[in-house]
Amino acid sequence: MLTALLRGLVGVSHPVWMCGLRPFFLLATLAAPALMLVWLAFLGHGLPLPPTVGGPFVWHAHELLFGFALAATAGFLLTVVPEFTGGGDFTAVSVRWLAFAWLLGRAGFWSSGWLGAPALAVSGLAHLALLCGLGWLAAPRLWRDPERKHLAFLWAVAGLAVCVAGFHVDALRGEHPARWLHAALGVYMMLIVVAMSRVSMRIVNHAIEEAGVVGVEYRARPPRRNLATFCIGLYTAAEFFLPESRISGWLALAAAAALLNLLNDWHIGRALFSHRPLMLYGVYAFMAAGYAIMGAALVFATGAFSAGRHLLAVGALGLAIFAVMGIAGRAHCGMTFETRQWLPIGAVLLAAAALARALAAWPGANAPVVWLVSGLLWSMAFGLYAGYMAPLLLTARADGLLGCKGTAIP
Amino acid sequence: MTLFKRWLAGIPAYLWSGWGAIASLALLLAAWEVISVVYGPMILPDPLASFSRLAELLSGGGAWSEMLISLRRALSGLLLAITVGSLLGLAAGVSMTASTMSRPLVTVLLGMPPIAWLVLAMLWFGVGDGTPVFTVFIACFPVVFIGALQGTRTLDHQLRDMAAAFRLPWQMKLFDLYLPHVVSYLFPAWINALGTSWKVVVMAELLSSNDGIGAALAVTRSHLDMEGTLAWIVAIVLALLAVEYLMLEPIKREVERWRELDREHA
Repeated sequence: MLTALLRGLVGVSHPVWMCGLRPFFLLATLAAPALMLVWLAFLGHGLPLPPTVGGPFVWHAHELLFGFALAATAGFLLTVVPEFTGGGDFTAVSVRWLAFAWLLGRAGFWSSGWLGAPALAVSGLAHLALLCGLGWLAAPRLWRDPERKHLAFLWAVAGLAVCVAGFHVDALRGEHPARWLHAALGVYMMLIVVAMSRVSMRIVNHAIEEAGVVGVEYRARPPRRNLATFCIGLYTAAEFFLPESRISGWLALAAAAALLNLLNDWHIGRALFSHRPLMLYGVYAFMAAGYAIMGAALVFATGAFSAGRHLLAVGALGLAIFAVMGIAGRAHCGMTFETRQWLPIGAVLLAAAALARALAAWPGANAPVVWLVSGLLWSMAFGLYAGYMAPLLLTARADGLLGCKGTAIP
Repeated sequence: MTLFKRWLAGIPAYLWSGWGAIASLALLLAAWEVISVVYGPMILPDPLASFSRLAELLSGGGAWSEMLISLRRALSGLLLAITVGSLLGLAAGVSMTASTMSRPLVTVLLGMPPIAWLVLAMLWFGVGDGTPVFTVFIACFPVVFIGALQGTRTLDHQLRDMAAAFRLPWQMKLFDLYLPHVVSYLFPAWINALGTSWKVVVMAELLSSNDGIGAALAVTRSHLDMEGTLAWIVAIVLALLAVEYLMLEPIKREVERWRELDREHA
C-alpha cells in the first residue's frame, strides 16, 4: 500500500511534479515543524541531534537555512521565473531531479557525523547541484528577458551557492563554518527585498482596489529597494570579514534605517490593514527591527544580539516564506486568494514566535520556556499550512489545467 | 485652512522619509569607524568617543552658551544680508541700467573668498562680534542680491502690461503678481545664504574670536584634543542637518510644488 503510494508519488506524471512550487513548498512546510520539533526535543530533553560538524547550533541554523528556506526558495524561483519572463514551465523531470538533490543534501548532512568527510562532501555537492540546477534553468530566461529586470534572482542563487560551497569547504577543513550561515541569512534578506517588491505590487494594489480606495496607488520604488539591499549587502560582508565589530554595527543600523525608509512606499492608508498587505509589511518591520537590535548590540553594547538575528530568521524569513507560500501556492495551483482564516492566523502565530524568540535572548528571560513556546508557535503555523495546503499541492488542479499558470486575480 | 491641514497631514510621511537620510548617515559613520580603526584614535577618534564627548560638553552646559553665541552672530549677519541684499537686489532688478551695472560688482563679491574679507574685518573690527557678523554678511549678501535681481528681471512683461492695461490697484499688483514670483526666487537664495552663514561664522570665530563654536574648535586644536575637535564638528554638522531637514527641506518642497503648479497651469 505504502510502496504503491510512494511509487505513484515518484512517477513523473504525479500532479506533485506539475509545477516547481508543489514539491518544494511541500518539503519546506514539512521540514519547518519537523526540524523545529527535533530541535526543541534536544533543547528540552537533550535528545541527541545528528552529530554534525560545528555542533547543535550549526545543525539548527544549517537545516533551517539550507533545508527549509532553500526548499521554499527553490519552489518560488521555479514558479516565478517562467511567469516573469514568459515561456513554459520547467519540466517535471528537472523539478524531480532538484527535489532529489534536496533530499540527498539532507541525508548527506545528517549522516556526516557518522560517515565523516565523504557524507559531508555528498551534502555539499547535493546542495550545490540544487542551486546550480536552479541557476542553469533560470539563467537563460532571466538573461534573455529584454530588460533583464529580474537578474537579481540569479545573483541571489549565486550568493547562496557561494555560501554553501564555503560552508562545506570550511567544514571539510575542520574549521567552524558558522560565518557562512550568517552570510546566507544576509543573502536571504536581500532576496526577500527583491522578491517581495515583485509580489507586493500585485497584492497591495489589489487590496487597495478591494478596499475601494480611490486615487491611491502602491509602487515599490527601486531607489529605496536598492538602498536597502545595498546596506544589507554591506552589513553581510562586514559581518563576514569583521565579525562583532562596531563597523558592522553601524552598517546594521544603516540597513535598519534603509528598511524603514522602504516602508514609506507602504503607507497607503487603510488598505494596508487588510491581512495580505499587513503580512508582507510585517516582514519588513521584523527585518528592520532585527537589524536595529543587532546594530545597537554591536555599537552600543546593549546585548541581545541573538534577538536581532532571530527576528531576521523567524520574523522576516519565516513570515516571508509563509506569506509567499500561502499566496503564490494557491494562485499557482489554480485557486483564488485564500479566504479562510488559517492564513492570517498562521501569520500571527509566526509573528508571535518571532517576538517570543527575541524575548528569550533578553537577559532575565526564562529562556528555555520561551524557546519552547516560540518553537511550538512556529511549528503550529507551518503545521496549519501543511494541513490546508498539502491536499492542494498533491492533487491535480481543479480548473483542469496543467502546470503553474497562475489564476488571474479576481 | 485646507492648506494647513494638508501640510499637517504630510508631517508624519515627511518625518518617516527621514529614514533614508539616517541610513546614509549611518553609512558615513561606518566609514568614519573604518578610518579610525585603520589610523588609530590619535588621527581620528571613533564616532562613539566623539559623541560621548559632545554629550559631556552639552551636559556641562558650556556647549550651549557657545552655540548660542555662534547662532546669534550667524543670524545677525544673515538678517543684515537678507534685508540689504533683497532690497538692493529688487531695486537693481527694476532698472535695466542698475542691473547691468551691478552684475560685475556682484561677480567680484562672489569671487572674493570669505577668508580675505575676514582678514579685512579683523583689521577693521578687531576681536568681538563685529568681525564674524561682517564676514557672514559679506559672504551672504551677493547670494541674496543675485536671487532678488533674477526674481525681478524674470517677471513676465506681458503680465505686467496686462496689469497696467486693466489698471489693477497697486496692492493687487504687488501681492498677486510681483511677490509670488519674486519670492520663488528669493526663498532658495535665503536658504542658500542660511547654510553659508553657519559655515562662515565658525570659520570667522576660529580665527578671530574668544568665544563661540569656532573659538572652542581653536582651543581643542591647540590642545591637540582630537575627541574635543570632533565633538565640536559633530555639533556643527548636527545643527546644520537639523536646519536642513527640519526647516529648509520642507520649505524647498513647498516652493518647488508652486513652480510645478505654475508649469501645470502654463
